[in-house]
Amino acid sequence: MHGKRSAPDFLLIIITFSLLAIGLVMVYSASAVWADYKFHDSFFFAKRQLLFAAVGIIAMFFFMNIDYWTWRTWAKVLLIICFILLVLVLIPGVGVVRNGSRSWIGIGAFSIQPSEFMKMAMISFLAKFLSENQKKIPSFKKGLLPSLTLVFVAFAMIMLQPDLGTGTVMVGTCIVMIFVAGARISHFVGLAFVGIAGFVGLVLSAPYRIKRITSFLNPWEDPLGSGFQMIQSLYAIGPGGLFGLGLGQSRQKFFYLPEPQTDFIFAILAEELGFIGGSLVLLLFSLLLWRGVRIALGAPDLYGSFLAVGIIAMIAIQVMINIGVVTGLMPVTGITLPFLSYGGSSLTLMLMAIGVLLNISRYARY
Amino acid sequence: MRVSYVTVRKRLTLVLLIGFFIFAIIDVRLGYVQFALGEMLTERAKDLWSRNIPFEPERGEILDRNGVPLATNVSAPSVLVVPRQIENPAETAEKLANILNMPVEKVYKHLTKKTSIERIHPEGRKISHEKAKEIRALGLKGVYIAEDSKRYYPFGSYLSHVLGFAGIDNQGLMGLELYYDKELSGQKGSVQFYSDAKGKRMPDMADAYTSPVDGLNLKLTIDTRVQTILERELDIAETTYRPDGMIAIAMNPNNGEILGMASRPTFDPADFQNVPPEVFNRNLPIWSTYEPGSTFKIITLAAALEEKKVDLLRDHFYDSGHVHVAGATLHCWKRGGHGSQSFLEVVQNSCNPGFVELGERLGKEKLFEYIKAFGFGEKTGIDLQGEGKGILFPLHRVGPVEQATTAFGQGVAVTPIQQVAAVAAAVNGGFLYTPYIAKEWLDPVTGEVVRRQTPQVKRRVISEETSKQIRYALESVVAQGTGKGAFVDGYRVGGKTGTAQKAKDGQYLKNNHIVSFIGFAPADAPQLVVYVAVDNPKGTVQFGGVVAAPIVGNIMEDSLRALGVKPRKEQMEKETTWLDPRLVKIPNLIGLTKKDLQQQLFNLKLDVSGEGDVVIEQAPEPGVKVKEGATIRIYLGTKR
Repeated sequence: MHGKRSAPDFLLIIITFSLLAIGLVMVYSASAVWADYKFHDSFFFAKRQLLFAAVGIIAMFFFMNIDYWTWRTWAKVLLIICFILLVLVLIPGVGVVRNGSRSWIGIGAFSIQPSEFMKMAMISFLAKFLSENQKKIPSFKKGLLPSLTLVFVAFAMIMLQPDLGTGTVMVGTCIVMIFVAGARISHFVGLAFVGIAGFVGLVLSAPYRIKRITSFLNPWEDPLGSGFQMIQSLYAIGPGGLFGLGLGQSRQKFFYLPEPQTDFIFAILAEELGFIGGSLVLLLFSLLLWRGVRIALGAPDLYGSFLAVGIIAMIAIQVMINIGVVTGLMPVTGITLPFLSYGGSSLTLMLMAIGVLLNISRYARY
Repeated sequence: MRVSYVTVRKRLTLVLLIGFFIFAIIDVRLGYVQFALGEMLTERAKDLWSRNIPFEPERGEILDRNGVPLATNVSAPSVLVVPRQIENPAETAEKLANILNMPVEKVYKHLTKKTSIERIHPEGRKISHEKAKEIRALGLKGVYIAEDSKRYYPFGSYLSHVLGFAGIDNQGLMGLELYYDKELSGQKGSVQFYSDAKGKRMPDMADAYTSPVDGLNLKLTIDTRVQTILERELDIAETTYRPDGMIAIAMNPNNGEILGMASRPTFDPADFQNVPPEVFNRNLPIWSTYEPGSTFKIITLAAALEEKKVDLLRDHFYDSGHVHVAGATLHCWKRGGHGSQSFLEVVQNSCNPGFVELGERLGKEKLFEYIKAFGFGEKTGIDLQGEGKGILFPLHRVGPVEQATTAFGQGVAVTPIQQVAAVAAAVNGGFLYTPYIAKEWLDPVTGEVVRRQTPQVKRRVISEETSKQIRYALESVVAQGTGKGAFVDGYRVGGKTGTAQKAKDGQYLKNNHIVSFIGFAPADAPQLVVYVAVDNPKGTVQFGGVVAAPIVGNIMEDSLRALGVKPRKEQMEKETTWLDPRLVKIPNLIGLTKKDLQQQLFNLKLDVSGEGDVVIEQAPEPGVKVKEGATIRIYLGTKR
């Protein structure tokens, strides 16, 4: 069943490294002022990001060499572990609150976000489930309902933290996977209505989410409150123009845009490198998407195909939401930009995911 | 149905295409934000990044028509503190509070405020130089004395209602200071620098300096020589009559320039906080609205003459002392009436039934047409704040009684400035001017005239012929009628008295009148219109001819002389009664010795000064007419 391993997708590695390099430069540029102010070391964040990248790259090459069927074997165990972690993170004292969400389990400096791992575990498990029950997928009762139930239980647990961003990415990814697996279009249309209704209900249940929604429609309504980040982000992007202010020339990073190296790093990138720079990053992500889908198309079995599309869908959806937020297309959700945003958890996880994708590519035949 | 690989492949391709499509949408949005919204966002972002340090412009000065400063600026130090530099806030606060006469806690609050620069408002602003010196001497860290400027009114309570005043930020609050605040205040300048969100200067962004533009200097139509005379006469009248209020206006009838405007009670603009607001809020000459009384008869007269309803010399009228109009009896002010008179005498005597007759001859439509044409019932449009409109009967409600009372000045309410403008039109050949007070705007640096207000004729109301007859009739009022108190030898004063009962809650008050006089001179070619009204004078008969006319006479005499108007040789001589002091021509005493003086027979007192035996100077000059018993000053010296 195991075919012969060949070379991994070289172009995918190039694209990943390009994004990683741009990310490192931008993390330094965006964080230097803040880092100097807070830690008297303008390289504070850049150095750490470099470390995370190194760890991530090692992880990437490590996972590149672990056959992806391993994940199918361990899928159930991993999923259960992740569910346990999702319960643990809700316990005060175990889970750490950051920015209003209890999303972290802290072991000193090495704190992790269980929801991030849940995404991966869910992709792996769902790929297994869908590939093994592929004939049942068109059936609503036997195929669609069980998989969706599982996804929404996980989503509900993530929303208890709450972490709308990660939850949305996970649900989106799973829907893409189920769609690719062959679920009926008519089921999706029906579910879309249910989903929209559910989303609206979710938004209405927590007032801060309403504020996020309205502030995205007109951030100037509450410029110092809910619209603040949006406005600061637009103030960065707007003046950038075609070529940008030049690398390192951002003004919004001077304490105007809070923590510019994390979720809103794309705003600083668009400010310094302009429309050209922003479009280049979008192009790289498009290429990444293309390579990912290509691997899914060439995967030797359905499991590999679903796993690959899950990984690439997760990355692409996260990019879409992040840049959509930064450019004011979507309400603020608090989600990182893969490979570019500062943050160890996010970066190493993304590189691990690429590693898995690369492993699939080694068995792919196009 | 079995899902085949084909479906998976199709759907994967679809996912790829949808993904590309969404990335494309995001890229379009990025372009939209950067290109379509870019300019707006950049503008707003620049506002966010920039910090302005304001540079205050100098407020424009206010000058009289000859350049005498009426409102200027003086330097006034202000205390600035930089909280971060203060070493011991408690001790500093105590020391400052001591000098500034304010609670220590309040100073402490200023000193510990989280800001880069703090002003101690208002106690520490525009303080005296002595206090500033004391604070400097303390040598407190983080406490600075900054130069600031303060409005200064060199004449004190003088022309106050017209000038108004400016507040602590040099902003106009009242009067001309408010009306022309925009022109006077100029434009703020600033140094603009870009800073980060913590207030630090942002690297690599150039500062922009915008220099302040000083306010324009305002030259008024006011002549301080005339204004000083008005203020003086009102001061004298105030001590004599202790009235409830007083008004004086002097205007050039040939262009509407206000030469002087004063009222009582008054106030010092520098001290307006200690004056009741109704005192500084109401500029009585343009605000107060009351029954004019007989001065309004000028309008009835003008209308009747222009409409050729009366011949002053040939037409006669019999006044029995009252007249019946539609069942009501209207009395003449003189009990028993004036008997048979020509209409010129009707004017001279201010005979009410005579004017009722003129009103009847005109009819209500014509009468009110002229009243409106002369500008009553609407604002004159003078460039001052708070002008009143007056009240006229609506035409449909004017019955015979209203027509009759209006004809002699009752049942209408007008403002003083309306009367001045209307009478000016009656005597200047019929031109109704818009009164104005701002004459020229001067560049504060070059002194060049930037803008000049030209006289504005609203309309022509009557002909020159009618105007001439009015001048004649009103000169005779002063020379021979009720206005004798305003007579000035050689200056041919014409005018009309007015005595109006004050009304409160629809009832006329007893022994409480506004007595007034409106005069102009010289009657052959009027140069000056002066209106004086005294509200409820005490210790006197409340008649305009007794109280107000002499004040106008004094103002006329001194003002015309100050304005350089030559006395006339021809004039309507004053008709004297035994009550009037006789006038004596001053003889020439120059060259006479002491001995000669003793032999001279005249009814005048001498005020002698100087050493010597021979008169070398005398005042007034020979030929001038003075009252019997007046004093001549002579100066003795040695014969050359």
